[in-house]
Amino acid sequence: MKSMSLYVERESTVHHIDPITKLVYIAAAIALPIILPSLHTAWICMLISFVILGMGRVLTRSLPIIGFVGFILLTVVIIQGFFHVGNETVLFRLGSWPFYEEGLLFAMGITFRALNIVGAFLILVLTTKPSDLVESLVRKGLSPRIGYVLSSVFQIIPQMMATVDTITDAQRSRGMETEGKLMTRIKAFLPLIGPVVLSSLIDTKERTLALQVRGFNVKGSKTFLNEEKMYRYGSAMRWSMLAIVIGAVIWRVIA
Amino acid sequence: MSLIEVEHLKYRYPATEKLALNDISLTAEAGELIGIVGKNTAGKTTFCQALVGLVPHFYKGAYGGSVRIGGMDVKESGVDETIRKVGIVFQNPFTQVTGSKLTVYEEIAFGLEHLGIARQDMMERIDHALHLLDIEAYKDRAPFDLSGGQMQRMAIASVIAMRPQVIVLDEPTSQLDPQGSEEVFRAIQSLSREGITVILAEHKMEKLAAYADRIALLHEGMLIDYDTPSRVFSRSDLAEYGVEAPIYTRVCQAIGFRMLDMDTYPVTLEEAQAAYEAQHSAISASSQEEQGGRYD
Amino acid sequence: MSKRSMWSISTAALVLIPVAVGINYIGKLFAGVLKLPLWLDAIGTVLSSMLAGPVIGGLSGLINNIIYGLTMDPISFVYALTSVFIGLAAGIMAHKGWISSWGKAAVVGLVVGLTAVVISTPLNIWFWGGQTGNLWGDIVFGYVLNATKSVWLASFVDELVVDLPDKLLTVLAAYGIYRMLPKSLIHMYKNNDNIESL
Repeated sequence: MKSMSLYVERESTVHHIDPITKLVYIAAAIALPIILPSLHTAWICMLISFVILGMGRVLTRSLPIIGFVGFILLTVVIIQGFFHVGNETVLFRLGSWPFYEEGLLFAMGITFRALNIVGAFLILVLTTKPSDLVESLVRKGLSPRIGYVLSSVFQIIPQMMATVDTITDAQRSRGMETEGKLMTRIKAFLPLIGPVVLSSLIDTKERTLALQVRGFNVKGSKTFLNEEKMYRYGSAMRWSMLAIVIGAVIWRVIA
Repeated sequence: MSLIEVEHLKYRYPATEKLALNDISLTAEAGELIGIVGKNTAGKTTFCQALVGLVPHFYKGAYGGSVRIGGMDVKESGVDETIRKVGIVFQNPFTQVTGSKLTVYEEIAFGLEHLGIARQDMMERIDHALHLLDIEAYKDRAPFDLSGGQMQRMAIASVIAMRPQVIVLDEPTSQLDPQGSEEVFRAIQSLSREGITVILAEHKMEKLAAYADRIALLHEGMLIDYDTPSRVFSRSDLAEYGVEAPIYTRVCQAIGFRMLDMDTYPVTLEEAQAAYEAQHSAISASSQEEQGGRYD
Repeated sequence: MSKRSMWSISTAALVLIPVAVGINYIGKLFAGVLKLPLWLDAIGTVLSSMLAGPVIGGLSGLINNIIYGLTMDPISFVYALTSVFIGLAAGIMAHKGWISSWGKAAVVGLVVGLTAVVISTPLNIWFWGGQTGNLWGDIVFGYVLNATKSVWLASFVDELVVDLPDKLLTVLAAYGIYRMLPKSLIHMYKNNDNIESL
């Protein structure tokens, strides 16, 4: 079955690190450039995220996503370069439009910070099985009910997509128009999504019953079939990241 | 005391006028296989869900009388207590897959994890359930990748692993192809052989006739009859309740083959054969007598 | 038995969340297939709000963006807050009875749209320096920024032209589906009766 995940199965140290530590890394990677808002913090953090992606042997897999974000960031550079409030120093002119240094630097800051955040999330997303992530969150105290919701999405969406394919074929063979004028296309929208939306909503009743009789509402603590996977240096990593963030706060206050 | 005791059970769904269950009383002993028959509006599903407490606790509505399983009152105890004693499997195998587990093995563990069963015990129970339902070969497959019959057996295994005393199956084969149905029926037989009490709502009368100890005939929420398959299926007014007797019964009724020394008709192929042979030897005996008489 | 308020979570409501996320996905997919100039990727969130109230709506929105972030587009983590507020706004309006006619549903659509704009604008400024990543919106952004020199105004207008029509149609589509649902299903989520005795 098609599974819905960006996870890439590789043998690497980054893959062995537990999901919680990766979540802490994301928090640190977002926090640091906010605490120390200089262009240098932003690009250093971005570089670290990319190096970790490289160590996890998933850098090539992250390129399409980075490229997509990069494209939007390019428009940011263009718009800020021309229109940024506070633009003074002209770098060059495109016809009669001046392109400014301040805008460029501002856009660079945004670019580094955005790519850093995307990179930090990609470390988690590309090197962690979604089911492992959910299970470790539940072990850390996330409600098992919310855990269920998160992990079931990964399978229920492909199930719904299979239904979508069947219904789309049926509607097309009945001669529904899906091309042409905007109004025609808007009118086709509800008949296309309606049947699958209705049937999947109706299915929720039986799934609710089935979950209840499998003890979904039973109070008391839950047990786990899988044994907890521990990463030996996980807690050391988390503490050092916390130390770095605290260090940055102190630096900000003093300097 | 019987394992299952239903007394004057009445139930009405919220925002409806008619009683879905109207004064049903019956008992079932441990180890019995009870068939539930009746047409679609007869109340089979409602009755099945009343045995696990989904009626009334999930739907609310209006409830009267009582259902007791091993002395425990289902209405008082609620669904979460009742499921430790009674398991239920529904019609559609797809909607019963939790969707949160990646393999069949983990899927069966779902209920056990929620009941807080220790890991070692959990694995023993899962292995036993996989074996009983004959799905060991698929234990590492993704749940949604199974065929309908395999998926329904996985649903049964998931319930069986919770070690209930009673398992209720609400038309478990109605959405399966013939091969899938056959697999599920074989599985139900092995549950029954294990001594598990089985309540089976079903449209395939030939199967019920062969496996059930007793049949409950429901109509418009009322219990019309509760007796052995032979007696229930031999009723002349069966058609009024939208139920068609097994094919063997109908054939034997048409040609007037009764069970030997009884007023009921055969309900299985074996019984029909026995009845035929009895009749046949009686005919040949009498014709020999006649012949003997003529030439005497 | 305590009466359920609009802030509580039942199993039925919880099971609705993955389906809501799936509906969001399907909406987005078909908006793409039909080349509509809209996202239409919050129909499930709004439907879950209509059926099960603001908490489930908000949770659907949050989980929707987490799942998108994990599986398709990490940027959607950034906009999780917007999705939460879309669910909350639609749920509160629905609970107050604003889904009894097409006209009222349109009002819900406008309120949801404005809510989304108000929440997204600061996020846009923080993450992208004010843009939305939508071509037409960003052209407007550049124009307004140049004319007024106000990033906030430019970003607000950028988000407004993109989000308001989108959310209006999203809520109307959700309402159209809501009207088709069987009564027993709607009742399942609004179940706050007691068990009567017979």
